Order: sequence, then structure tokens, then C-alpha cells
Amino acid sequence: GKFKKEKVQAPPSKIVIRKLPPTFTEEDFKNAISPVPENNYFSFVPPDKVLGTHAFSRAYINFLNTEEIVSFRDRFDGYVFVDQKGNEYPALVEYAPFQKIPKSNHNKKDIR
Amino acid sequence: PEVTNDASRAERPPMQQYIRHLLYTSLCKTNTERILRQIRKLHWEDREISLYAVKCLTSVWNAKFYNIRCIANLLAGLIAHYDWVGTAVVDGTLEDIRFGMETNEPKFNQRRVAAIKYLGELYNYRVIESSVIFKILYSLITFGVSWDPGNPSTYDAPDHHMRLRLVCTLLDTCGQFFSSGASKRRLDCYLTYFQHYFWFKKSVYSEEEFPWQVDHLVQDTIVGVRPKITMFKSLEESQNAVTALNKQIVDKAIQNMPSLKQYFGNTDEENEEKALPTIPEGDDHIE
Repeated sequence: GKFKKEKVQAPPSKIVIRKLPPTFTEEDFKNAISPVPENNYFSFVPPDKVLGTHAFSRAYINFLNTEEIVSFRDRFDGYVFVDQKGNEYPALVEYAPFQKIPKSNHNKKDIR
Repeated sequence: PEVTNDASRAERPPMQQYIRHLLYTSLCKTNTERILRQIRKLHWEDREISLYAVKCLTSVWNAKFYNIRCIANLLAGLIAHYDWVGTAVVDGTLEDIRFGMETNEPKFNQRRVAAIKYLGELYNYRVIESSVIFKILYSLITFGVSWDPGNPSTYDAPDHHMRLRLVCTLLDTCGQFFSSGASKRRLDCYLTYFQHYFWFKKSVYSEEEFPWQVDHLVQDTIVGVRPKITMFKSLEESQNAVTALNKQIVDKAIQNMPSLKQYFGNTDEENEEKALPTIPEGDDHIE
């Protein structure tokens, strides 16, 4: 028979926080959840404005300590984030369906 | 206060127009290498430009449907230089698919089909693994789905066929590659659940009233990925197959981890004997 190297499946560590206020900046979000959990990947994504009332910001965090995920979820899943105008946005915290994070730094220069 | 599309289109800065031109107008099968070189030359270190480029690489519904595969091909090439772009685009595409399920508005249908097509092509170009495809395949037949005709879901109304169309688009795009190893077995399982979902949709209609186009689409797709399959011929038949498959999966899980038994109530006594610890197969990654 064929032997394949058995990959040990790591527990999921990358979470997504969805339905954040569309006017939020990365700083707004970081302040709102302060302290930001220890991570090796953080990405804040502004909304697709074309979606109008369906437009939200979202953020991804890859936790270094996966044990912290449950308490983070308990704290922020359903947590109501408030934008500058006082609009309320209950957030959703979930495991990201795509668990991969980039190997390289954001600003690594391409030798073009 | 919403900015209309027309206004924002008129205001688009030249750099944004250029990126859109490259991806949505120029790019085709024969010039992917050349366009990739142009895209690599963008100032990726400029956050505004990179955000916009990622957005365009995600918004594939702006391209011709046929050219979606070219964008996937280009992205696969770009990842070798900008790994993080791949992550951002895949995350964005999955968000869009989820958004479509949550809103379920007809005006987004074309966008939803394009996004799911893209996901399939991203698998074909090895940007994502089959596990992501299966996650989405299962979410399409479970997320917000109601199995109680007396309590219909707004996410997936009884007479909506969008989910069927999305599953078929995804399977038509990359399903033929799930033909060996773990991914073959996973697709076989999935097709049992999918046929049940399909028959449940059909059961809402009285005979002959279910749109024949949808009927053909589903049959063609399933036969396309499994030419020798014998399809279920009724809701009852598919229901029985799902029940049998569920039992098989639970039994196997208990066999691998006897402590799980407490969560599944009364299973057959004979499983007690089989519940010896076994070596995990670890074949989930053979593809």
C-alpha cells in the first residue's frame, strides 16, 4: 500500500468578526475590542459600498492561543458595536471558513 | 444618503479605471501571463491601491462569466509574489457567498452565481483545498434551510431554486476532480444529502409542476460528476439513504472514539463489540 505522511490537523485558529459598522476604521475596531488578542494575522476589511444597507465591515484574527477563542466569542458574538452616529450593529463571531493565513508580510516587495 | 452607481463611476480615479480595465476588459485566456505582469507592477504597498485591487479580484461578477476562470488563474500566479492577496480574495469571496445566503435577494443572483463559479475555479487553480468547497456545498443545503413545510424559511423559500443552481454551478466547475481518495468519498456522501434536499424541494410542488429546467440542471450535474450513479427516485428513497448514511457515519465515529457514544443515545448493541480503538485512517488529505 501507499503511505502518506499524516498531517495532524491543527484546531481552527482564524476567526472572522462580521457585520461591523460600515463606517468603522481599523482603529475604531481595535479600540472597541481592546486588548486585541495575541495573533499572527489581523486583517480589517472595509465594506463593499455598492451593497448599500447590506454593507458591513469585517475583521479576521488568527489567534496564537486557540483557548482564548471561546471567551472572545462569548464576549463579542452578538456584541453591539456602535458607530459615530449611534447606529447599532450586532456582530457575528465565527470560525473563518478559510483557515489559511499568508506566510509572507503584507509589504514584502515584489521583484518586478 | 446613498451614492448612486453612476456618480461613483464618474469619479473613479485613473488607477482604479486601469485596474478594472486590466481585469474586466483586457484579461482573456490568451493574455493571462501578460496581464499578470501588469498587475504585479501595481503599487501593492499603497494600501488604497491594494485594497482596490483585492476588491476587483474578488468582484468577479464584473467580468464576463467565461473569463472568471482567467481571474482565478491570474490570482494563482499572483499568490507566488503576494501571498496575502490570495488570502484576502478567498476570504472576500466566501463572505460574499455567505452574504448571498443571508440576504437572498434576486438582484444579487447573478453576483452569487459568479462568486460560486469563482470559488470552483479557485479550487481548480489550487488556491483553495477541497475542504473549503465541501464546507460551502454543505452550507448551501443547510444554512437557514427549513425542513418543515409549515414553517418556511426566508433564506431559502420553498419555491426558490437559487441554492440548487449554486450547488450545480459549483459541482459543474470543479466536481469532476473529486474522483479519487477522500474527496471522492466526500462527494459521494454529499450527493446523497444533495439529492435529499432536491427531492424535498420537489415535494413542495404537485406532480409535473416543478420547473423542468431545474430538474434537468440537477440531473445533468449529478450525472456529470458521477456518470454511473443511480439517482434516487423519490423523497422517501432519498430520505432512507440519508438515514442510513447518518447511521454509518455515527457508527464509524463511535468506532474511532468510543467516548462519543454518550452523545448519540441508543445505537445498536453490536457496535459495543466493534468499539475497539482503531488506528485513524488519516487519509483525509490524499487527493
